[in-house]
Amino acid sequence: MSAGRPAPLEVPAAVTGPEDAVVTARALTKCYRDLTAVDDLTFSLARGTVTGFLGPNGAGKTTTLRLLLGLAEPTAGEALVFGKRYRDLDRPSRRVGALLEPGDFHPGRSGRDHLRMLALSAELPMRRVDDVLAQVELERAAGRRVRTYSLGMRQRLGLAAALLGDPDLLVLDEPATGLDPAGVHWLRRFLRAFAERGRTVLVSSHMLAEAAQTVDQVVIIDRGRLVASGRLDELTERGRTLEDVFLGMTGGQV
Amino acid sequence: MRAQLRCELLKQRSTRTAVGLLGGMLGLVAFAVLLHGFGVDAKRLDSGSDQLTIVLGRGEFLAALFAALLGALSITGEFRHGTIRPTLLVAPRRGRVVAAKVSVSGLLGAGFGLAGCALAAVLGTVALRARGIDIRLEGGDYALLLAGGAAAGALSAAIGVGVGAIARNQVPALIGICAWLLFVEGLLLGDVADVGDVGRFAPGALGAAISGQDPDTLVTPAAALVLLAVYAVAGAAAGAIATTRRDVA
Repeated sequence: MSAGRPAPLEVPAAVTGPEDAVVTARALTKCYRDLTAVDDLTFSLARGTVTGFLGPNGAGKTTTLRLLLGLAEPTAGEALVFGKRYRDLDRPSRRVGALLEPGDFHPGRSGRDHLRMLALSAELPMRRVDDVLAQVELERAAGRRVRTYSLGMRQRLGLAAALLGDPDLLVLDEPATGLDPAGVHWLRRFLRAFAERGRTVLVSSHMLAEAAQTVDQVVIIDRGRLVASGRLDELTERGRTLEDVFLGMTGGQV
Repeated sequence: MRAQLRCELLKQRSTRTAVGLLGGMLGLVAFAVLLHGFGVDAKRLDSGSDQLTIVLGRGEFLAALFAALLGALSITGEFRHGTIRPTLLVAPRRGRVVAAKVSVSGLLGAGFGLAGCALAAVLGTVALRARGIDIRLEGGDYALLLAGGAAAGALSAAIGVGVGAIARNQVPALIGICAWLLFVEGLLLGDVADVGDVGRFAPGALGAAISGQDPDTLVTPAAALVLLAVYAVAGAAAGAIATTRRDVA
């Protein structure tokens, strides 16, 4: 640990112990040639929670999510979902749905075909395509090529893809990007309803005001390291806002 | 694996890439075959081997080139548009994803080979007949052109997937394939006598050999088929390893 860095903020009854965790990062480390993007990161998430994964730009949020989802290999430590490495999950899209980038589509393919091809790969029934299109309210645009979609529509299509397998865990990287106020409101209600059915959401964000309205616990990282984790109401007690906590722990960068 | 194959077929069907490449290839085949069929001095076209190599073989050459591009696009397109992320989230066993791409690109590549060679056979024969040149090709020569063209297309597509998986970046992959087939192989089979022996074993020359072109210089069709298949398996395996071992950003 580098000198001068504050110790992680201790909050009792923070995130869950590893035994029943949906998501577990244990001493997770990812180094690139001259950069340690994720540095000895340990946290775990309990079922039925909406967790905000917060940190300044470049803190290592996206890298951590990619390690959890098996797109990148850790340099050291473990990244587990439902107690296993992502790639060892049986039928992963039925357990985990993820939205990483708003533009992960072929612009010349229709939204419906994008979902159909994923459903084929995941061996899901084709009716799931119509189900998730209805869920994200994108039925009318589904036949159009994605290049005609607004950023908000692309986010909805990405969310539809994440929901295809009716997963128990949703992992979303900055999902509010590009959504208008009505879209943000819709997303917030959607995530709350998702968690109230006993499912789990891990959502990264650097938009604190929005995150504070959506999540019930937070994991805050800075320069790849954990700086605070715990229930939002406990972190923000005594009149402190999430922004106060965040700026205090991350040295004032947003 | 069946699920991956069906997914990959839908990927190819649901964009205009494959159809666009097929159309572009057929247009170029027509242009090249008619240009040579009508334009080359009749004295150079008095043997079956010359008629096949100079006129009809253009179909095989272009089909192999476009099939290799199709194979490379099938994977570099995923990296370019970011669809590699949802693809691998749904199917984290990356070797299977690459294997499905090799299979489906190979199938479409065979179709490219068949279509390109069939068009070249028809237009080449019509052009030579129209000039009053005796057709020295027999049924077996046409059959070898079509079958060899299909095989060359399929195997070139598989090599293309391997190149694409290793390069990931679309522009270098496509430029590399074009530079190799359009320029480097020409050098290897050109005027420098000592490298001519090496050039016969290059992938493009093997594709030509499979379809019976230039039998005096190139290896036999059967040997070419075996060797190109070895390249295709090696290329696909290298692509699978490169995809499995490296992170996806």
